[in-house]
Order: sequence, then C-alpha cells, then structure tokens
Amino acid sequence: MTSTNVLEEKLEKIAEINGIKVYNIKSNRFKTNTINIFFQDNLDKDSVALNALFPSVLRRGCSGLPTIKDINLYLEESYGAVFDCGIVKKGEKQIIHFYFEYVSDKYTSDADRNFQKALDFLLNIIYKPALQDHSFNEQYVEQEKSNLKMLIESRINDKVQYALDRCYELMCKDEPFGLYEYGTIKQIENITSSELYKHYKEKVSTLPVEVFITGELCDSDIEVLKNSLDSINRSAQKGLLSSIVKKYVDKVSYFEDAMDVNQGKLSLGFRTNITSNEDDYYALLVYNGILGGGMHSKLFQNVREKAGLAYYVFAGLEKFKGLMIIAGGIDIKERDHTKELILKQLDEIKEGNITDYEFKSTIKSLETGIQSLKDSQLQVVDFYLSQLISQTHDTLEGLLEKIQRVTKQDVIDVSKKIQLDTVYFLTSEA
Amino acid sequence: MKFETIEYKKYDETIYKYEHSSGLKCLVVPKKGYYKKHATFSTQYGSVDNEFVIPGEKTQTRVPDGIAHFLEHKLFEQKDGSVMDKFAALGSRPNAFTSFNQTVYLFSCTDLFRENFDLLLNFVQNPYITDESVEREKGIIGQEINMYRDDPGWRVSFNLLDAFYKNHPVKFDIAGSIESISKITKDTLYKCYETFYHPSNMVVTVVGDVDHIQVFEQIEKNIQATEKTSEIERIFPEESDSVNKIYVEQNMPVSTPLFYTGFKDNNFNLQGLEILKYDLAVKLIMSMIMGKSSELYAKLYDKGLINSTFEMDFSIEKSYAYSMFGGESVNPEAVKDSLIKEIRKFRSNGLDPQTFDRLLKASKGRFLRQMNSVESISRMFINLYFKGVTMFDYLDVYDTMSFDYIMDVFDMHFDIERMALSVVKGTSK
Repeated sequence: MTSTNVLEEKLEKIAEINGIKVYNIKSNRFKTNTINIFFQDNLDKDSVALNALFPSVLRRGCSGLPTIKDINLYLEESYGAVFDCGIVKKGEKQIIHFYFEYVSDKYTSDADRNFQKALDFLLNIIYKPALQDHSFNEQYVEQEKSNLKMLIESRINDKVQYALDRCYELMCKDEPFGLYEYGTIKQIENITSSELYKHYKEKVSTLPVEVFITGELCDSDIEVLKNSLDSINRSAQKGLLSSIVKKYVDKVSYFEDAMDVNQGKLSLGFRTNITSNEDDYYALLVYNGILGGGMHSKLFQNVREKAGLAYYVFAGLEKFKGLMIIAGGIDIKERDHTKELILKQLDEIKEGNITDYEFKSTIKSLETGIQSLKDSQLQVVDFYLSQLISQTHDTLEGLLEKIQRVTKQDVIDVSKKIQLDTVYFLTSEA
Repeated sequence: MKFETIEYKKYDETIYKYEHSSGLKCLVVPKKGYYKKHATFSTQYGSVDNEFVIPGEKTQTRVPDGIAHFLEHKLFEQKDGSVMDKFAALGSRPNAFTSFNQTVYLFSCTDLFRENFDLLLNFVQNPYITDESVEREKGIIGQEINMYRDDPGWRVSFNLLDAFYKNHPVKFDIAGSIESISKITKDTLYKCYETFYHPSNMVVTVVGDVDHIQVFEQIEKNIQATEKTSEIERIFPEESDSVNKIYVEQNMPVSTPLFYTGFKDNNFNLQGLEILKYDLAVKLIMSMIMGKSSELYAKLYDKGLINSTFEMDFSIEKSYAYSMFGGESVNPEAVKDSLIKEIRKFRSNGLDPQTFDRLLKASKGRFLRQMNSVESISRMFINLYFKGVTMFDYLDVYDTMSFDYIMDVFDMHFDIERMALSVVKGTSK
C-alpha cells in the first residue's frame, strides 16, 4: 500500500448555478471518478413515456459524436470510460440519470485533465444532441421507440421482479405511483419526433437538477465545472409535488395473473402510512428488518427454514411512497397456506413477540448495510440523492444513530400502523 | 510465520500469500480505508465434478447431478443449529454459491471481522448432516430448481451449453433436477465432503482493511492440521470436438425472443498465464468483431436486430471453453448469419492493429475499475486461483499482449464449424 492517507469522505455542496445544485464527495480510495447528473420530475401519466424515451435518444449521438459507434470509440479511447443514462422511479418522482465514470488521472499514462473531457462529453450528450432539420434524428427516435416497446413487453421475462411491480401497480392503480416508469406501449407508439424534441427542450431547461461528482478532483476541475454550468441556458425551475403516503385501506384487494410457469409468485402489498421524514421511519426500518430483511428474519426463519415453503421470501420498503411488500416464490398449491403463515409473522410482532436475537441481528444488519454503502461511489450518491428527494437530511452516520436509538416498543407501535392492501399471485395456466 | 508479499506500486495494490501445512492457501488483498471486509473459503468442487476417483481408492465413484450445490446448502446447518443465525447475530452477511467448478462460502462484514472469520473457517470444516434435514432440503432446492426453470435468461444459456456438449456435465443445471436430487442421501453427501473439502483442495481469500498477519494466525489456529493428500482424479466423459446440436429452441412466456450463439473451443488445455493470455485475446477479438464500437454492432442495432441487452462473454476452464454472444432479438438467426459473414470478412481482410490498441487500452481501464469493489476482487481471485494465477497477473498480460498473438487466436477460436445457436421464444398464439 502507498502511504497516502485515506481522505475523510463527506457530502459537500460546492455550488448552485442556474438552478443546478452541485455536490462533491471527495475520496481517494477508488481507481475511478464519477459524474452523475440527475433531473427530477413528477411521475405523471402525460410525461412518463416521453421522459423514458428522450434519454435513449440522447444516448444515440451528440455534437461531434453523432453515432453510437462514435460514442463508443470515444469511451474506449478514454481508457474504457463508462457512460450510461436512463430513468428510475423513486416514489412519485421519475428521475432521469446521466452517468460517467473514468479512470483517475494518476492511473493513466497521459497527464490530460480527464475531468474536463468527461464533463464536456456528458453536457454535450444532454444539451447538444445529434440533430436533423432542427429536431431529433427521426431514425433514432423510431428505433428507440421500438426498443422501449420491447423493454416494456419483456417485463414478463423476470418473474420475480414482475410479481413485485404488478402488486404495487395494482395496489396504486389510481395514484401516480401505479404508473410503470417506462410508460405504456400505446403511449410510446403515439409519440412523434417533433413532440419528443419539444418535450426534451422544455425538460432539460426547467426540471430541478442535481450534480454529484465523486473521487479525486483538484481545484481547477471544480472551476471548470462552474464555468461549464454557467454557460447553460436554463428557465425558471419547475416546482415538484411530494409523494402522497397516507391512505387508509378499507378493503383488501385480490389479483391473480396466469402464465406458463412452474413456480407461483406471491406478493403482499402494504401501506405503512409512514413518511421518511417522520421519527417512526427509523422504527419502520427495524420492523421491516425483523419481519423479512435477511436470514435472521421471521419470514426467512419460519416460511423458508421451518416450513420449507419458499426458496426466497423477503420484505422490502418503498420509502418514498411509504409502502412495504412481501414476496415469495412458492409451490402453486401452497398459496393460501403461505399467505396465512406470512400474516402470522406480522401478528407476532404486533403481539410483541420479538426475540432479542431478532432485534439485535436486525440492528446489526442495518448497520452493516449502511457502512457497506460507503464502498461504492454510486451507492453513496444514490443515498444522498434519496435524502434530497425525501427532504430528510440524514448523513450515513446520522441514520445509523437514529436506528440505534429504536426500541422494541417503537417497533411494536409501528407494526400497528401497517395495513394489508393488496394480495397478488402469479400462477400457472389451468 | 512465512508468507510472501507482492506489491504493485503503480496501481497501489498489494497481495499477501500464505500456505498452511495442510496445503490450504490463503490470499489477502488489503484495501485501506474500505469499510467492508470480504472473506471467502472455497473448494475446487463444482457441478461438473460428478465422477471421480477418491484418493486411495481404485474404482471410480459416480454421484447424482446437483450434489455439490446440495452440499453447499447443507453445510449451513450445524450440530448446534444454523450457522446463519450466528452470522446474523454478528450483523454480517454470509452467503454461498456453487458454480461449474467451485463452491464458495463467504461473508462480508464491517465490524467484528475476527469473530466472523473464525465462524467461516469453522463451519465449513464441520458438516452436520442428518437424514431428516436432507429430506427437508429437497423441498427448498426443488423450489430453487423451479425458479430457474421459469427464468428464460437461465434457460437460453444452458440450452446453448446443451448444443455445444453431448456429454460434458457443464450442460446440466448446477442445482441438478428434481429427479437427480431425489437420489441424494446423507452418505453420498459425506463422501463428497470428505473427498473435496480437504484443505489442500481449498483456498481462503480476504479483501478489505485487515491485518494480514492476524488473518494468517487465525488460519493457523482454526485449520485442522491434516496431511496433504494426493490430487483427486476427476473423470469427464468423452466429448467430441464438434458441437452436439447446431440449434436448440425452447418455448416459454417471453415477448421478444432471447438468444445465445457462440463457439465451442477445444483449446482449453492451457496452463497459468497462458490461460489469461488466451482469455484476454478471445475477449478482445469478440469486441473487435461485435463490440459496441464495431461496424457489425452499429449495423444490427440500426436494423433493430439487437438492443442494449446484447452481451458477450468467454469462459475457459480445465475441461472446456466456449464463447457466448446474446441478448434479445426479433430474429436470432439473422444475427447469427451476420456474425458468420463478419468473421469471414475479417478472415479475408485481416484484423485492424489500431482497433486492437484501442480496445486493449479500454479493457485495461475497465479492469482497473473492478479493483474498486472488494467483491469483484475476491471473485476474480478465487476463479483464477485454481488456474494457478492471480488477478494481478493480468497486468503483465496487458503489457505483453501482441497483435501477432491475437491473429493466431482469431484462427483458433472463431471456427464457424463449431458454432451453435440457442433460442427461447414465446409460444405462438
């Protein structure tokens, strides 16, 4: 090992230019640096498909690098830099993400300032797309429409994920969260190239933007960044809505899909009625961990290990929307039996039956999870972005402390707020 | 204590190597400032090792398909309960996986490394298997097998292996089949354990901010001091040089067909650095022909015949080697035909040295990127360890790779006679 000391890594806001907020997370542990640019929008049925499509078109070419081939030649020349863009759903927000990762200057033989090249590339992709008659390249739009339709149709390939997504969608079918983040086939088909271009122009100049840079950058890199952002044309920023979390369930809904499958997939969707900026949120994290967050959990121990009903069974949270899901892959004829056994585990917690082992292991496992995030630049960025979206301002250490303060009684109190909303089963064709 | 230190100053990396008297090897890669400490305990024993001669015996033993994976599941049970509970109490994340050639037990922790590491070393050395627990496990693994049977990505790759190989067990599902695991008993599990879990057939790796001396001391203390044994003779069935089938198709609920095509490669009889060299060369040529900066990729993408799911890989092991190209396509046959045409074109026009230089540079950058993650370092080390090399040997291979060698490998691997295609498509309605 070299004698260089490891830098203390923390989030530092370094600029706000043209409504673009810039954060730096310094670190010298990694071989690469990253640049992440996030645009945030409301998840809305009128824009969901358009937002999903335009990054795919931008990825096809930009000023100076008009084709995929040119882009990849460029990335290969830049020591195999990695570029990608796409969208993710966080609660009722749709996030458009542009990403660039390149080898740090100290490991490349030419002493070029790689940061400037990386930033120029990414800004060109976003703000100077390959154009044809002052609009997007028609052929690129048609091809990416067809790729996106294919992606939507291919959702059924991954049954584990599909059974989770379907449960959430059916459960929130009358709320924005019920929208699939890539839109529908019909919406995609109806998009015209000129409409998409107009939409894109408006979005990149009005949506709130967060930029995160990580790794080892020098002061001149930061200056380069500030100057570049200064020259971007931006209009007044769009105000965004918050995700709606509170909803009372008066009746449990049941849904089933049939496909040619060997294994059944059971998903149970719950409303927690807890937002991530309430104190209860930390107890909810512990509750979810005790219930189904790992091998020590009630679900794993009782449904898999003792009853041998499932190969996988777990509970997960969607913190932005305050939802919880329990999912398992089971023998088709065991549907009712498994459902009962799962719900029994929730009752156990309500009745206060939490062992010291379950409680302590959960806290420990959450600690390990939080500390482990720090070894991935992308995960640290995602953590802080999530904090900004949910308007909580926890640091990784702050989150740890709050989790450590949770008591068993807090968990029992939280368990009483959680309501089953939807039962979904993916089953075989008769 | 005797150990070896190798420094790679240019890349800020070091590796410490140690060998225990039983023949067990241990590698430590320190990652200063990292929070995660990742340790593995692996045996060179995977799903392909179904027929072998136990050291000291004369006749060969045949065991049911899927037994290495079954044994992996069973080792988590100990006389005093499940070892998972003990890891969970320490807040760490234990896991295990079985591949074609290895069974790997691992954990990742951010605290209490010493306790976790003791636990790992001990549970892997102390199996406790009962008839009753074997029967219960058949239910859980049965569900796992069913899950993979419903996974079109998994099916399409195994079907390609079935197309390549007539007899070689690499074509069989790692978990076996419901039928094959029904024959597994406590006795056969113990027999496999005694044969393949001898320390001399195993390796320990630790990656993270740890003290290597402490790691080696823990090994001294925890590993049972058995004698080294002789090499296990592994028996593989006769396999022809040509492919088993040129085309395999399966119907499953998918919207767009999935495909894998590739080449069966009989040049697997290589040692040490030669394996790394060959592996890198094949991968570079694959990128030259169909990588994201190639003419062919652009052409097929523009025609809508491939999309961003397209990927390529090459595998080389002691008894087999093959390449795979695949993803989603509305017309897999057309993709395969274009690939053949492109290879013929390269064969007559030659490969381009500038493209080679650029791809070599890119590949090295992407290799360095993998050193960011303790998991990927550890994964590469285990996989290469049993081939007699380490991940850092790649750095030499990058510096010595030549265009002449690339041209030789092009002729060796890309033999159109040894090509096959596997397709999974939806049931026509």
